[in-house]
Amino acid sequence: MEDSDSEKKMEKENLGPRMDPSLGEPEGSLGWALPNTAMKKKVLLMGKSGSGKTSMRSIIFANYIARDTRRLGATILDRLHSLQINSSLSTYSLVDSVGNTKTFDVEHSHVRFLGNLVLNLWDCGGQDTFMENYFTSQRDNIFRNVEVLIYVFDVESRELEKDMHYYQSCLEAILQNSPDAKIFCLVHKMDLVQEDQRDLIFKEREEDLRRLSRPLECSCFRTSIWDETLYKAWSSIVYQLIPNVQQLERNLRNFAEIIEADEVLLFERATFLVISHYQCKEQRDAHRFEKISNIIKQFKLSCSKLAASFQSMEVRNSNFAAFIDIFTSNTYVMVVMSDPSIPSAATLINIRNARKHFEKLERVDGPKQCLLMR
Amino acid sequence: MTNMDNDSRHLLIPEVDHEINPGPMNIQFDSSDLRSKRPFYIEPTNIVSVNEGIQRVSDHASAMNKRIHYYSRLTTPADKALIAPDHVVPAPEECYVYSPLGSAYKLQGYAEGYGKNTSLVTIFMIWNTMMGTSILSIPWGIKQAGFTTGMCIIILMGLLTLYCCYRVVKSRAMISSVDITTWEYPDVCRYYFGSFGQWSSLLFSLVSLIGAMIVYWVLMSNFLFNTGKFIFNFIHHINDTDAVLSTNDSNPVICPSAGNGGHPDNSSMIFYANDTGLQQFEKWWNKSKTVPLYLIGLLLPLLNFKSPSFFSKFNILGTVSVVYLIFLVTLKAIRLGFHLEFHWFMPTEFFVPEIRFQFPQLTGVLTLAFFIHNCIITLLKNNKNQENNVRDLSIAYMLVTLTYLYIGILVFASFPSPPLPKDCIEQNFLDNFPSSDILSFIARIFLLFQMMTVYPLLGYLARVQLLGHVFGDVYPSIFHVFILNLIIVGAGVIMACFYPNIGGIIRYSGAACGLAFVFIYPSLTYIIYLHQEERLTWPKLIFHVFIMTLGLANLISQFFM
Repeated sequence: MEDSDSEKKMEKENLGPRMDPSLGEPEGSLGWALPNTAMKKKVLLMGKSGSGKTSMRSIIFANYIARDTRRLGATILDRLHSLQINSSLSTYSLVDSVGNTKTFDVEHSHVRFLGNLVLNLWDCGGQDTFMENYFTSQRDNIFRNVEVLIYVFDVESRELEKDMHYYQSCLEAILQNSPDAKIFCLVHKMDLVQEDQRDLIFKEREEDLRRLSRPLECSCFRTSIWDETLYKAWSSIVYQLIPNVQQLERNLRNFAEIIEADEVLLFERATFLVISHYQCKEQRDAHRFEKISNIIKQFKLSCSKLAASFQSMEVRNSNFAAFIDIFTSNTYVMVVMSDPSIPSAATLINIRNARKHFEKLERVDGPKQCLLMR
Repeated sequence: MTNMDNDSRHLLIPEVDHEINPGPMNIQFDSSDLRSKRPFYIEPTNIVSVNEGIQRVSDHASAMNKRIHYYSRLTTPADKALIAPDHVVPAPEECYVYSPLGSAYKLQGYAEGYGKNTSLVTIFMIWNTMMGTSILSIPWGIKQAGFTTGMCIIILMGLLTLYCCYRVVKSRAMISSVDITTWEYPDVCRYYFGSFGQWSSLLFSLVSLIGAMIVYWVLMSNFLFNTGKFIFNFIHHINDTDAVLSTNDSNPVICPSAGNGGHPDNSSMIFYANDTGLQQFEKWWNKSKTVPLYLIGLLLPLLNFKSPSFFSKFNILGTVSVVYLIFLVTLKAIRLGFHLEFHWFMPTEFFVPEIRFQFPQLTGVLTLAFFIHNCIITLLKNNKNQENNVRDLSIAYMLVTLTYLYIGILVFASFPSPPLPKDCIEQNFLDNFPSSDILSFIARIFLLFQMMTVYPLLGYLARVQLLGHVFGDVYPSIFHVFILNLIIVGAGVIMACFYPNIGGIIRYSGAACGLAFVFIYPSLTYIIYLHQEERLTWPKLIFHVFIMTLGLANLISQFFM
């Protein structure tokens, strides 16, 4: 299962370079050939270095942060001798001047979600001149096939002009290469701003960003990893990426009513972001989505330490029973029943039957085997 | 998506407990080993105290809790990236033990250092810590300054050191950027003045400690000598009258330094030259030649202990000694009566003028007598109601001033002046009572025991500070520690043999370390803080510079007056 694979990959040296392989580049140069990139659409997570992208990705995708994730850097590439690509395994090896071989995963991001989306992290406007140059030279490749651009701004940054400048150059590249991409701007680290000032500062930034982004449309969120805003922002992003979400919600409601559940949630598989949910009565805890997501991601991390992968969970007590299980190829479902007299087997059979129905729903939406379509 | 924007920021929602049976959750597993499948459950006995009415954790707090748990799994323990910063974590007094069932328990005393002691206990602890051996020199100090001047100086010094102590207490609150909860005053000095501040505060702190230890050694030799002499005389039924000036009644008061031109001498002259046994005793039990050395055998081993926590149990002896001294002085005053005459400028045969130019000697002694600035922060940390800190500190200072005034005035006033000049008041006022006096014998015994238990504590403090800063390790090796102890003990012995003027030692070391901790650092850090806040006004600047000059003048005048 791809979950366990990606967990295992995470635990190794995460020294994958953040260089986007392009098609058809000759070997021996600084490009790589990658099979089957045509199908994958990218989610670009960009922002100044130090704005919190790595932590954000780690939290949302339950990646263990190996802090040594520095880019290759000029020093290693200087000693780069030859370049080999093992296309079937989608890895490549570098042999440096001393004869040491280093193997890197081309899919350096390790994270795929919503079917065919691949997350790429880029530091925009960093100090590293090597990366700057590479970024500029490979710009078109980087910005091709982009589905979503998520740009992260550090609210405490002192160089607003520079930030906006980099943001605009990214937008230009998007306009040229992927004009249909959705743009999201996250104003991050809001916990460092005093509470009474947060709304004001965010509104200011939002206006500026909206203005600068024309003719493209951007949605802005204010986020912080220390409250629920990060999860909500990413859930909103994911929600907007699903084209048939209303239909999904209708079906979910039918499902819930048929099986007499209190609440049914649909999670995205990799991130446990809530795609949609239906509740038939008022729930007390407004933070429950994020809490469940964190609990399950933590559990997944524990499972991966044992080289096991999380598949399903049942929690019962005298007041309720909750079932978390794989649903479709991109989603998990959570069913909460408050009638504990209904045996588990009945609910599990219901979930299994619903699974077939929802998978058909996904496939109906187009020739591509993914939830997302253009 | 649901709109979850309006969260209550309260951590606890007082609510009726819906859990009728807050026991372990029912599990519908068919498991043979049910215990292994039981969920996490806190035994009620492990919880120290429960707030009345079980309160539920708010959703916001439990979400934060889950978040922090999850983030901590994402990085290595060494990585600081995902550690919750202070401004998102609730304050220590708002932290609860959270049971997964949703109930929250507050553990009493969980927040370390907050609020265990009532005001009364805090005041008593401050008073107890400040009451040192300088109490024995206060009457001499009053004598040196003149009676009226002495009283005024005691009150004024009390107020001045109180203000500086208040500045010390407030100094931590002026630092907002760093976590200061474990900081003591030397750390604040280091923050403001860099490593110069750190080393100078270390130096001055050592000056006060080693000065105190030398004084202790001198006093201990003195008391041990007198105790030994009393016991010897008691056993051999010797009615010993020293050939020193003394009053001839049932409450003898002696003037040991009368025949020696004002220099206190540790030899006592006994005119029993034809008794060889006594002469032998005299030879082997001499205040300045042998007794200080006997103490080495007693105390040097004690100094080498790694942790003197055993000795801190005897802290109560200090209070008992002071209370007994007060009782003793009162009794003597009742018996001796008051002998006061007021001559303003000219000394007479028996009395000293009211205003004398040697008053800096009193200020020097008082600087050490009112010195607590290097540990006041720690003492006030445990105060239950932190907002009463200043009030409690002021009350403690007032009590200390009253105690000093009481003892000083009574001893001075009751000193029998017609036969003996007031100038006879010794630097250690117990020296004015002969060794045969039972009451002062008891006082000496108390003080001897108290000092013997405090001495290793002082040695430990000096060792921790010096070795900790110089070598980085509190106990680098027995060799280092032994050398240090030898030096300290050696200094004490030398002083006891050749210069046993505790008044002198106290005033020099007091003025020196007071210069830094009492006068200069508090004022200077306050001026710097105001300057950074741009609230520095001319009156404040002048006032604090004046305080600093006073401290400097205090030190310099010790050498001239």
